[in-house]
Amino acid sequence: MADEKTPAGDNPYTQTHVVQSGDTLSKIAQKYYGDASLYKQIFEANRDVLKDPNKIFPGQKLKIP
Amino acid sequence: MKKQIVWLLAAMMAVLLVGCASQKEPAEQAIASAESAVNATREMAQKYVPDQLAGIDASIASAKDAFAKGDYKAVLNAAPALTAAISGMRDAATAKAAEAEAAMGKAKDAWGPMSTDVPKMVEAIQSRVDMLSKSHHLPPHVSKDALASAKSGLDSVKSMWNDASSAATSGDYTTAVTKGQATKDKATEIMHSLGMTS
Repeated sequence: MADEKTPAGDNPYTQTHVVQSGDTLSKIAQKYYGDASLYKQIFEANRDVLKDPNKIFPGQKLKIP
Repeated sequence: MKKQIVWLLAAMMAVLLVGCASQKEPAEQAIASAESAVNATREMAQKYVPDQLAGIDASIASAKDAFAKGDYKAVLNAAPALTAAISGMRDAATAKAAEAEAAMGKAKDAWGPMSTDVPKMVEAIQSRVDMLSKSHHLPPHVSKDALASAKSGLDSVKSMWNDASSAATSGDYTTAVTKGQATKDKATEIMHSLGMTS
C-alpha cells in the first residue's frame, strides 16, 4: 500500500453524511461510531467546510472517516 | 539362358541400389528442413500449442527412425504431411500469441483505474476500522464480531493487493486484474459489513 494517505476529501470511498435538520457532530459521531466523543475526528476531517464544530447546517456534505 | 537371368538379376539389383541411394539425400534434407522449421518456432509453439509441437516432434523422431533403417521412401512419403503440420502449428501458435497480446493489452487498460481505486478503498476501510476501534461502544449496525472480521479481512485485502501489484510489476496484467478484482470484491464486502456503503 502507498505510504501517503489520500486526503479524505479526495477519496471517493470515504463515506459522506448530508447534514439534516437537528444534526450535531456528536449525534453524527454517535450514529457512525457509536461514540459521540469522536465528533472531533469528524470535525478535523471536514476543516475545509467547517470552522466551528458547533456550527453545522442542513445540506452540508460531511466526510465520515 | 541361365547367364541371361543372372545378368538381369544383377541389373535389377544395381537399379535398386542406385534408386535407394538417390532417395537418401532427399530424405535427409526433408528431415533437416522439418527440424529447422520446427526449431524456428519452437519457443512460441511450446508456449501456445504444446500438444501440436509434441505430435510433430514425434513425427520427426519417427522419420529419423525410418531413415536409420534405410527406409528413405517412407521418409519422403511422410514429408508433405509433416510440412503441412508444421505450417499449421506455426499459424496456430502465431494466432494464439496475437490473442494473448490483445488480452494483455486489455488487462493493462483495466489495471490503470484499479491501481488507484483499490488503495483508496483500503485507506477508507482502515480509517473506519481505526475509528471504530477507538469507540467506547460500537454503532448498532456493527457488531464486535463484524469489526474483528473486518480487521482480519483488511489484512487479507492488503496481502491480496500486494500479490496483484507484484503481478502487474512483472508485466502479467491478466493475473494482476484477476487478483485486483478479487481484492476489490473483498474490500467492498468489508465496507458493506461496516455500514460504509450508503
